[in-house]
Amino acid sequence: MKFKSDIVIGLEIHTEIDTKTKLFCSCPTKGSEEPNTRTCPTCLGQPGSKPVLNNKAVEFALKLCLALNCKISPELIFSRKSYFYPDMAKNYQISQYEIPLGKSGNLRLRNGKEIGIIRVHMEEDPASLIHPAGMKESAYVLVDYNRSGNPLVEIVTEPDLASPDEARDFMKQLITVLNYLEIFDINEGIIKADANVSIKENEYTRIEIKNITGFKEIERALNYEVNRQKEEAKRGKNIEQETRAWDSDKGVTFSLRKKETEEDYGYIIDTDLTVVEITGKWLNQIKKEMPELAQDKVKKFIQKHKIKKEDAEILAAEKELAEMFEKVAEEINPLLAAKWLRRELVRVLNYNKKELHEVEIDEKHMIDLLKLVESRKITDNVASKIMEKLIEKPFDIKDYVKKENLEAVSDISELEKYCKEAIKENPKAVADYKKGEKKALNFVVGKVMQKTRGKATPKEVNEIILRMIE
Amino acid sequence: MSIHDFIKKIKNHEIDIVEHTYKLIEECKEINKEYNYLNTISEDLALNSAREIKIQLKQKNKNIKNKKLLGVAVSVKDAICVKDVETTAGSKILKNYKPLFDAFVIQKVREEGGIIIGKTSQDEFGFGGFSVNVGIGFKVPKNPFDIDRSCGGSSGGAAGLSQKLSNHIALGESTGGSIVEPASFCGVYGLCPTYGRVSRYGLIDFANSLDKIGPIGKNIEDVALLMSVISGYDKNDSTSLNTKNENYESHLKKPVKGMKIGIIKEAFGQGVEREVEKNVYNGIEELEEEGAKAEEISLELPIRYGIGTYYMIATSEASTNLAKYCGMRYGATEKLEGSFNEYFTKVRSSNFGDEAKRRIILGTFARMAGYRDAFYLKAMKVRTLMIQEYKKAFKKFDALVSPTASILPPKFEDIEKLSPLQHYMIDVMTVSPNVAGLPHLNVPVELECS
Repeated sequence: MKFKSDIVIGLEIHTEIDTKTKLFCSCPTKGSEEPNTRTCPTCLGQPGSKPVLNNKAVEFALKLCLALNCKISPELIFSRKSYFYPDMAKNYQISQYEIPLGKSGNLRLRNGKEIGIIRVHMEEDPASLIHPAGMKESAYVLVDYNRSGNPLVEIVTEPDLASPDEARDFMKQLITVLNYLEIFDINEGIIKADANVSIKENEYTRIEIKNITGFKEIERALNYEVNRQKEEAKRGKNIEQETRAWDSDKGVTFSLRKKETEEDYGYIIDTDLTVVEITGKWLNQIKKEMPELAQDKVKKFIQKHKIKKEDAEILAAEKELAEMFEKVAEEINPLLAAKWLRRELVRVLNYNKKELHEVEIDEKHMIDLLKLVESRKITDNVASKIMEKLIEKPFDIKDYVKKENLEAVSDISELEKYCKEAIKENPKAVADYKKGEKKALNFVVGKVMQKTRGKATPKEVNEIILRMIE
Repeated sequence: MSIHDFIKKIKNHEIDIVEHTYKLIEECKEINKEYNYLNTISEDLALNSAREIKIQLKQKNKNIKNKKLLGVAVSVKDAICVKDVETTAGSKILKNYKPLFDAFVIQKVREEGGIIIGKTSQDEFGFGGFSVNVGIGFKVPKNPFDIDRSCGGSSGGAAGLSQKLSNHIALGESTGGSIVEPASFCGVYGLCPTYGRVSRYGLIDFANSLDKIGPIGKNIEDVALLMSVISGYDKNDSTSLNTKNENYESHLKKPVKGMKIGIIKEAFGQGVEREVEKNVYNGIEELEEEGAKAEEISLELPIRYGIGTYYMIATSEASTNLAKYCGMRYGATEKLEGSFNEYFTKVRSSNFGDEAKRRIILGTFARMAGYRDAFYLKAMKVRTLMIQEYKKAFKKFDALVSPTASILPPKFEDIEKLSPLQHYMIDVMTVSPNVAGLPHLNVPVELECS
């Protein structure tokens, strides 16, 4: 195989989908956290139990296939993937093999590059294993079947990703899609990836990294692995094909097994389940229910609200942000709204290490705040400060502005008074300015801003001081 | 006394159900001493059910008179789950396992007032045609007419008990002939229904695409009665047919006049014992005398490739079904030591019988990468061809006839001499209808005694 890039990465992503009940029984996917309470004979693999397919999970998976532009199989067929492991209730996993639900799809990265999707298929989650004294040290393992049988979707990409950064962005874009489709619980849902990484220096020998949880981890794990492989190559070591695992605590990958051949799962059709026909009628119904996705929003924002493409893309990248923008833009000049949401709100969120869905701030707060900005009742400076406070705990903005006396100083005589004071109090800075040190003026302006508690615009203050000095 | 008359007498208080059940259980114990038909006799459950019926009869409960199986003893093949009653599928690996739920068929039997008397013996997980492949520590059931001979399998206990015990119907289960073949060896009726007609919910799986639960009884009326009770749609089994329920008893008295019967050419001649052939032809003659039209038909593909196709599919599925038995969640355990892999291996090595191990190995091999296309997938394709051939045959015929087994019940000493393949060949007549999901019925035509 010929690769164009120096680094070649392919991902195999497992994501939970947010149905109320499990994939093959009616046990709830959420609720009691007490181990082994959300179980029944089917998800425990008791003799004589039989799986019954959850149609909602199929619909969710079909939505994802459509959003990823996949070709959809006319039939849904489940297979048994056999291997012995303590987290497997039946020692086989009900999965899909020959004919996945979706294939030949794609997903676009922020940089515009299209990443091929080989397949999208459905399968059941195994139980969770708990190692009470750490993964390698524990003398025993506890098994919790609450998760056993939860619906999962596996997404396998082409090895089209050329850097850990692209891999991270792929995961980010995928989560955006899942979020728009409302098939993923952004708070509790788990998204895991296995990655195939190879580099040119090693003749693209394929190394598989297992068990990377969450989209932020992917870049860390891949950066580590790429550097490790480069180092090995520099030292003239010949890298063999192997499977490694990511240890998130230590920030390293470690070898699990050197494999000569592919693992053999002895797939057969699961004849406890019937072949489900994906009819055109069903598919059309699902297409009708499909929400607007990020790319639809970008187009709409540019056409309807006339905002810049770059701004539109940032706003659309997050469903909550996009929806907030649409509501705010109904009441506020869209350009102003876009600027404030995509710059200030995102800045404040990033600073607090929060996602929009994690904070209580809503579109009403933004509208109240931006109305004051739009009508110049408060300065940008004050608005930014209010936003910072809002992230912590929301409050009534108008009351707050009034109570704290934060309205912009529009009375020139009042401003002039503050400027006069500042010039008087800082003769050295004024003298320096006059000697030609232009920057010294900023110091005086800063003093005035302090006196007004940010209620004046620096530009205006600057003009007054200049006039007074000269 | 027919079961029909028996039920009438129960309803009319002519028979005391508790006393009757008590005697019947004692009789089971007596029979079991010599014939080993029951792995478990559920005495408490049976007597409690009988007492409950007696109370309801006394209270003149309105519903009680409509119950189709009121007071009738029903034995259950050990592969079918009965809540809180040891259910092992004849395997040591499930020793002491008590299911958490009733199989669909058990729910139905209970709803209609049937009395569960126990779990009948079988080849381990259904792996055999003579009931000699019982699990480690289990006893081999014996032919009701000659204890030196096999009662057939794998539902051997069910067929033998049906011959020996009156006022009783058995629930058997078949994957490749395990209802009709033992029924034939024990001289009783056995009906293996259409795949999907009876829910498999609560059946311990052998091969999911082939397994069927069906009735075995001394009279065809008994078989029809139990079939009417256990058939029907079940939302817990995805392969259950969602069609309207039938009253099978209403078909019993219909004349055969004008029916077209196909005599499967390849099912006679070489390899078929003379007495078997003679008696089956006599049976066909009887049908013709009643006005049925019999004609020969060649079904070469099913007879020739049936065994191979069946064993590839059945063992592939079985090897995945048996994976869950590893001493971790239920069933037999061993001393906990070593890695999980070592522990699972120890549990499976010391608790599965030889035939179970053989079929796990065969099935795992048939679905291994590199062999899968040649064995498992090829067999799936031949299966489709077989279905097509049967469909063609049924365009012309109402029923097809063959001997159920090509031989009379063999002696245990002769069975010991058989190679595994010769052993598998006992199913030659019955695997093909199973592979095609077709219903088939064993009709006793004559009793041959040596």
